[in-house]
Amino acid sequence: MGGESRYEIAQDAYMKIVLHALKHKSSAVNAVLLGRVSPTNDAVEITDSVPLFHSHLGLLPQLEISLILIEEHYAAKGVNIVGYFHANERFDDYELSGVAKNVGDHIYRYFPQAAILLLDNKKLEALPKGKDRSPVMQLYTRDSSKNWKLAGGEGSSQLTIKEPSANAVLLDHISTEKWQDVVDFDDHLDDISKDWLNPELFK
Amino acid sequence: MVSKTEETQLSNLETQVDNGGGGAWEYLCLVRKLKVRRSDRVLKHGLSILNDLKKRSSLGPDEWTLYEQVAVAAMDCQSLEVAKDCIKVLRKKFPESKRVGRLEGMLLEAKGAWAEAEKAYSSLLEDNPLDQVIHKRRVAMAKGQGNVSVAIEWLNKYLEIFMADHDAWRELAEIYVSLQMYKQAAFCYEELILSQPMVPLYHLAYADVLYTLGGLENLQNAKKYYASTIDLTGGKNTRALFGVCLCSSAIGQIAKGRNKDDKESPELQSLAATALEREYKQKASDKLSLLTAALKGLKVSS
Repeated sequence: MGGESRYEIAQDAYMKIVLHALKHKSSAVNAVLLGRVSPTNDAVEITDSVPLFHSHLGLLPQLEISLILIEEHYAAKGVNIVGYFHANERFDDYELSGVAKNVGDHIYRYFPQAAILLLDNKKLEALPKGKDRSPVMQLYTRDSSKNWKLAGGEGSSQLTIKEPSANAVLLDHISTEKWQDVVDFDDHLDDISKDWLNPELFK
Repeated sequence: MVSKTEETQLSNLETQVDNGGGGAWEYLCLVRKLKVRRSDRVLKHGLSILNDLKKRSSLGPDEWTLYEQVAVAAMDCQSLEVAKDCIKVLRKKFPESKRVGRLEGMLLEAKGAWAEAEKAYSSLLEDNPLDQVIHKRRVAMAKGQGNVSVAIEWLNKYLEIFMADHDAWRELAEIYVSLQMYKQAAFCYEELILSQPMVPLYHLAYADVLYTLGGLENLQNAKKYYASTIDLTGGKNTRALFGVCLCSSAIGQIAKGRNKDDKESPELQSLAATALEREYKQKASDKLSLLTAALKGLKVSS
């Protein structure tokens, strides 16, 4: 595996997980990233995401159930789990936690180009002030010594958003508090009538 | 900890107040009673009462409680000027008050002036070494600065003295889980179950931690605690029902190689599976086929 993979995340998948993090500002949250390898180039297309939990991220039972149900749903569409998104509890915490690495390792076993995305709070905070089109998250990929390395700089992997105006749309949603409508797996397990697919979120 | 009925009551009131239907004071009292964190709304609705002279004076002595509640909410929303104003009013009314002193310490925290906040709290503790709120503020400060090991150490010291503080045990357990220190988290839940054996949340959390620890004995115990959760919640807890199925599957995997009597009676898991399918059919029918496939994959059939 060379060091450079390209990752492209779809606007809706991107906004969903950022809004989820904003819904639960005082907790760590996570999400699963779904997609496929592009048939034309070698890039990983993240086409969708499912927000998972906002409490007890380090416990296995709910993670296992959610992954089973999610895989079951998406496999029928030819889409697999390609990565994991994590947002730390504290604003200035840029460390990739053990929980994040473990989930990442698990996904890597089935998808060697797996990525971990970590929410970049400072970038998110600065969003209204600039015209930054890059995603407000850090990208981590596995290197040859089985460690998760932060991508950045020349010759390394990079993450882009498919639609260039995604951050503008995101800011719009933030101003209307759209995050209230995001349903995650925790919400579903507390009330199964809540749909973790969020089908109406961006309609 | 909030029950489902309380949660519904709260969100109904919330919607009512948000849409101008009145009931702001009831809402604020309920938030205080349930100890939930709704700082943006508390700030907005609390201020609307405080800034209206007529409404404010109709509160009588509760006016000061509201100032305190709004001050804390303001700090949570980083509206530090509002917080400062509220605290000033309280200071004027209660010049010798330690309770106001606590708020002043919290304001220093909110500003990020950690060292000064620490000094303020230490001096308050000198006069009153058994002030639980201040002890917990110091733990919160350590956690907020990222000193998790210090937070754990102080929280443990706190619990040696105040071992009946259930919220503190829960906080400690959650910190341990976030650090993947599952054995220590299990200990916390054991303490909670010992002191409050009828609270299903603790049984459920304990079961989750045991399952995460893994190994045959832990899985068998996890299954027992999922079962007791189901018992205590009248079979309505989806997580516990899933937990039973996961445990049965995992135990089945381990016991496959062995010929001992670790083979469980299948009734519990088939009952759980039936209950889940019934629930999904009723409330989430579009997900029923996913559920059935998942249960099949766990080799659990109803």
